[in-house]
Amino acid sequence: MNINKIFHINLGRTLIYLVLISFAIIYLAPLYVMFSTSLKDIEEIRSGNLLALPNDPTLYAWGKAWSSACTGSECNGLAPFFWNSVKIVFPAVIISTIVGAFNGYVLSKWKFKGSELLFGALLFGCFIPFQVILLPMAILLSKLGLSNTVSGLVLVHVIYGVAFTTLFFRNYYVGIPTELVRAARLDGAGFIDIFRHIFLPLSTPIIVVTLIWQFTQIWNDFLFGVVYSGSGTQPITVALNNLVNTSIGGKEYNVDMAAAIIAALPTLIVYVFAGKYFVRGLTAGAVKG
Amino acid sequence: MGHIQLKNVCKSFGSTEVLKDIDLDIQDGELLILIGPSGCGKSTLMNLIAGLEDITSGQIVVAGSDVSDKSPKDRDIAMVFQSYALYPTMNVARNISFGLEMRKVPKDEQDETVNKVAELLQIDHLLDRKPGQLSGGQRQRVAMGRALARSPKAFLFDEPLSNLDAKLRVEMRTEIKKLHQRLGTTIVYVTHDQVEAMTLANRIAVLKDGIIQQLGTPYEIYNDPANHFVADFMGSPGMNFVECIVFEDKLVIHSGSQNYQLSVPCSDAINRSGLDSVLLGIRPEMLTDLKPHENNPYIHEVIFDVEVIEPMGGDTIAIGKWNDTEVQARLSPESGEIADKGFKLQVDTSKAIVFDPLTGQRVR
Repeated sequence: MNINKIFHINLGRTLIYLVLISFAIIYLAPLYVMFSTSLKDIEEIRSGNLLALPNDPTLYAWGKAWSSACTGSECNGLAPFFWNSVKIVFPAVIISTIVGAFNGYVLSKWKFKGSELLFGALLFGCFIPFQVILLPMAILLSKLGLSNTVSGLVLVHVIYGVAFTTLFFRNYYVGIPTELVRAARLDGAGFIDIFRHIFLPLSTPIIVVTLIWQFTQIWNDFLFGVVYSGSGTQPITVALNNLVNTSIGGKEYNVDMAAAIIAALPTLIVYVFAGKYFVRGLTAGAVKG
Repeated sequence: MGHIQLKNVCKSFGSTEVLKDIDLDIQDGELLILIGPSGCGKSTLMNLIAGLEDITSGQIVVAGSDVSDKSPKDRDIAMVFQSYALYPTMNVARNISFGLEMRKVPKDEQDETVNKVAELLQIDHLLDRKPGQLSGGQRQRVAMGRALARSPKAFLFDEPLSNLDAKLRVEMRTEIKKLHQRLGTTIVYVTHDQVEAMTLANRIAVLKDGIIQQLGTPYEIYNDPANHFVADFMGSPGMNFVECIVFEDKLVIHSGSQNYQLSVPCSDAINRSGLDSVLLGIRPEMLTDLKPHENNPYIHEVIFDVEVIEPMGGDTIAIGKWNDTEVQARLSPESGEIADKGFKLQVDTSKAIVFDPLTGQRVR
């Protein structure tokens, strides 16, 4: 009886693990194929063993993808575009997070007449499809003289991101007791002091969530990148598309794969290292300040 | 120094009038309790004094200067919140010194004050801890420490003990009273606990529907309430109210299948009022076991059918009926054990008061 019971549990467990492992394999298989293909030379790829490990691993494809593959007429690899993306992502993420934090602080703790309406309107911004704002934004950018520039793309991402960052911070700050603000006001602290000394030190989890969210969104963006960038200011997603679509001679699958991994790597790294803070931050906001 | 005057203070939120024409003169060094049921406006009144909310009309004067339009930080008033509102990321020392830091007090002076306050409140061993690592009573002390550190003109306490357990509440209550006696600073203290009010106050202001019903010493409030509401609100167990028919200058009660005529001190006033029936108010401690007494016109012997007894330890509450209204008597524990139908009760009406049953106003 007892032995049976243990056996029973083990059988159940085994089944669960089998299912989990098989799903994991299905999800990880493309990554594996990309990675192993990127380490093969073109001869080996042509021989057709998609799933086989590389016989003779080489970093040739990675080197080419990074510095000499052709993206359209230029053949400098992904490197310049990678740095374009970095130049877009960092300011855009930081500015939108700061603006969002301030917005959230005001909308949760310094309510004014119409602040709820403003918040509702901001929320609406989360649900506007990208395509709808393409044309008006293009006109705005040209009026500001920012067409085809990195600054222009930063501006677009900040505007589009503020809706989300405000939502994050506002909902997090709503959970922090308003009496803290009252106590601090009596202690003589002003608007900025209260934010700096009381709210900011409490905000680590939600800052991490916002940074990860914004980083991923902006790094992975293709539509804004392709519409609002010029020839020298394209982000890496656009360059990856160009690289894959440019073939001189035969198609170099290994270079394509390496390029795709390079383009995806930063977000992957962010998730691996900060993923647990992401989950923790999301739940921290939900429970208590 | 800590003289606070409220002159015709009104406050409305939209079309709801929360406070109506409040006039209050809080003396320097006084401990004034604001008490009332929830929603009576007592916390709002406190927020107005602190400057956390703006008055709709009227004037607030602190230490001789009109602060009605000043921001909280310029009023030099400290507040202890119900939830303590300690800054969660700062340790105890910084929680206490934050107000000084914001007022640009030199660092060594801050440290000195923190140590002094911590010693006074016996929290000097906790200075490095975060509020999350403290017990309820310790947080309470830190919250008071934060208020003390600035040595303000006045303290506001907003139901500071309501989050503590019963035993700790009594301890902290005594401690607050000692602290007040020692510092002599003006304190305005909001509570809905009438025991807290009675024990702590120099004066009590009873609030209802945004109006001060009565302002007086605990003795006055308890023994000479202005109206039915105040009489009912203060005291535990509460005052007995029985509607009685007036016969000549006496009040008729029906108890234990017999009628009694009770004489009360305010019989002249009853006659003058011309009321046929009045509401008699008499505290449970005036309904007792038989005790030896001088020949006193206000002492009556009444048969009482005890229906329920509630032993409280020190005494026993016996519940029965007069004129079909529930009445509580305060018996000795020994009598409580034997109290039953036909129990002989001594009723002392020398402190009994009488209300107009319709308006709830005192007849006097």
